[in-house]
Amino acid sequence: MNADIADTKEKHFNGRGVGVGVGIGKSVVIDIESAEVEPNSISEKDVETHKKKFSKANKGLTEELELLAKELTDKSTREIIEAQLQIIQDPEIEKSVSAIIEEKLLTVEYAIYSTYCKFIERLKESGSELFKQRIVDLEDIRDRLIAIVCNHTHKHPVKKGDVVVAKDISPTELVAFYEKGMAGLVMEKGGPTSHAAIIAKSLGLPCVVSVKKATKNIDAGEQLILDSESGMLICHPDKETLKSYRKKQKDRLKLSARKCREVFETKDGHPYQLLANIEFEAELPKVAEHGARGIGLLRTESLLFGSRIRKGQEDQEVFYSHILEGTEGPVTIRLFDVGGDKTTTRASKEDNPFLGWRGIRLLLDEKQLLQNQLKAILKVSGKYPGRIKVLVPMVSVMDEVDSIKKELEEAREAVTSEGYAVDEGIQLGLMVEVPSVAISARKFAREVDFLSIGTNDLTQYTMAVDRGNERISALFQHYHPSVLQLIKTTQEGATEEGADLSVCGELAGDPVGVAFLIGAGISDLSMLPHSIPEIADLLSSFTKKEFEAFAESALNSSSDKQVKELFEKSFCQK
Amino acid sequence: MIKKKVTIKNSAGLHARPSAQLVKLASKYKSDFFIHSYGYRVNGKSILGVMTLAAEHGAELELEVDGSDEEEALTAIEKLIEDKFGMDEE
Repeated sequence: MNADIADTKEKHFNGRGVGVGVGIGKSVVIDIESAEVEPNSISEKDVETHKKKFSKANKGLTEELELLAKELTDKSTREIIEAQLQIIQDPEIEKSVSAIIEEKLLTVEYAIYSTYCKFIERLKESGSELFKQRIVDLEDIRDRLIAIVCNHTHKHPVKKGDVVVAKDISPTELVAFYEKGMAGLVMEKGGPTSHAAIIAKSLGLPCVVSVKKATKNIDAGEQLILDSESGMLICHPDKETLKSYRKKQKDRLKLSARKCREVFETKDGHPYQLLANIEFEAELPKVAEHGARGIGLLRTESLLFGSRIRKGQEDQEVFYSHILEGTEGPVTIRLFDVGGDKTTTRASKEDNPFLGWRGIRLLLDEKQLLQNQLKAILKVSGKYPGRIKVLVPMVSVMDEVDSIKKELEEAREAVTSEGYAVDEGIQLGLMVEVPSVAISARKFAREVDFLSIGTNDLTQYTMAVDRGNERISALFQHYHPSVLQLIKTTQEGATEEGADLSVCGELAGDPVGVAFLIGAGISDLSMLPHSIPEIADLLSSFTKKEFEAFAESALNSSSDKQVKELFEKSFCQK
Repeated sequence: MIKKKVTIKNSAGLHARPSAQLVKLASKYKSDFFIHSYGYRVNGKSILGVMTLAAEHGAELELEVDGSDEEEALTAIEKLIEDKFGMDEE
């Protein structure tokens, strides 16, 4: 430590800890004043271009938010994202932006800026305390839209080990900084449910949000410590503080390293496999760090949306190759799992999108999209024989299984005839998320190599509960014995037919869920990478017999609540 | 075009969640929907419009619905407000 830092007094700031672990590093301050935009004129012939830029930016941001909302089950998080979506889609905003471009002949960025500012002013004038939080949302949306239409992204040199201090950053920026090796994130804005916070958690990144005036109070290049647990941010830590936090950091690493080296076995020596669910290349280091034995679910939807679209076959190949290169063990690639509202064609509204045109139903109609993805996967499979598995989402009837097999065959012939080597043994599997497949699991298992249970959708379809509907969210019960029974039925069907079975839904990363799954005889479990140490800890502390006894009583109980109580009785009173 | 006067009954007023519900519901109908309140007139399908009303408990609103499904829309909107947006008083 150099002298002038040692002289400076240690300063503490309070925020809310939302990420994982302790971060120590030098600050990089991103202080972009909310863009003041000048009213520059455009000519009449540019009106259409500027209007198009606006709708494109709106669409991009909407897709980014919807994608995120889809992955979230937490009620308050969804509400915030839905409120932001409602603002983006507000008809008055669009009217005003269009009018400014058309009638006043001003640029799209100015139209966005002045429209949002007008509404912010009105909200402030209304004097209502209720919508203070919404003003932050409005400013945030305004600045992001302007950044998109102007093609601005923060171009700050973030190096390995830096702690980024910002007002707010977008999810894509966060992933970009993470890829450069940032040590932590401090934000002025953003509650625990802001975009950046959610992603920081999923990346296992130390993160503290809601630190008031952080970009003013902290200079570039200062030594910082942030603690995700307490929400504390320390500037110029003195020697003692630094030492104690370094120890805390090391202990954590040691803890996860110890767990990584361990074999995955129950107390009485029955092996199990823990794999990771991921979506971005940036998550790969966490996969290794937490000792996942492979990728149990690679989501591919992000290739289609947001600001980093990589839809083309070659772009997809690069993405899949990166994932395969950066991991060991199997990689299960789930085909695009999107609904009809997410494609450019046939954007007709559906009354029940969750019961509608999505997953395999959509893919079989959108052959080009499907063939492109299958070909990209097959080309990469030749370079990594025995490692790639293909997972088909939203299957409900056997015809779809026959069709997807034909499609895979067609793609294989095309790729082979182009002279590429293909993994001949590439495994094909189905998502079990519709009860029709769970109930007849045996028949489906006969047709494919493996089944993978998606517990979120299976719960939604079994309980007839829309996850997004807050009025009935209490009915979304993961541990409902009926859901558990369908899982057990699937397990029996798969075992009888000798098909592999795994679980990649939220249930697998949850202690109660995982205790049931192991007890029910399912030992391949895929979850968020940072859940692995905790789950491994639980599974290694008890015997298979104990889990089996729990699973059996869980199946015999009559409510979700009872299952939770049973779990506590069996495993928490040690 | 039909009009109807209503009073906000839930104790927290038209705060974030009820506003969102109101806009979501109104947007399902083809008819135009405006809210008049203390001299203001806002688009009831605009979340920002509804928020700027900042209608609190006891606020009187006049609903104006105009279009092919106006009857149906008004009934549904009125019901939502009457039912205090389906929320138990927290």
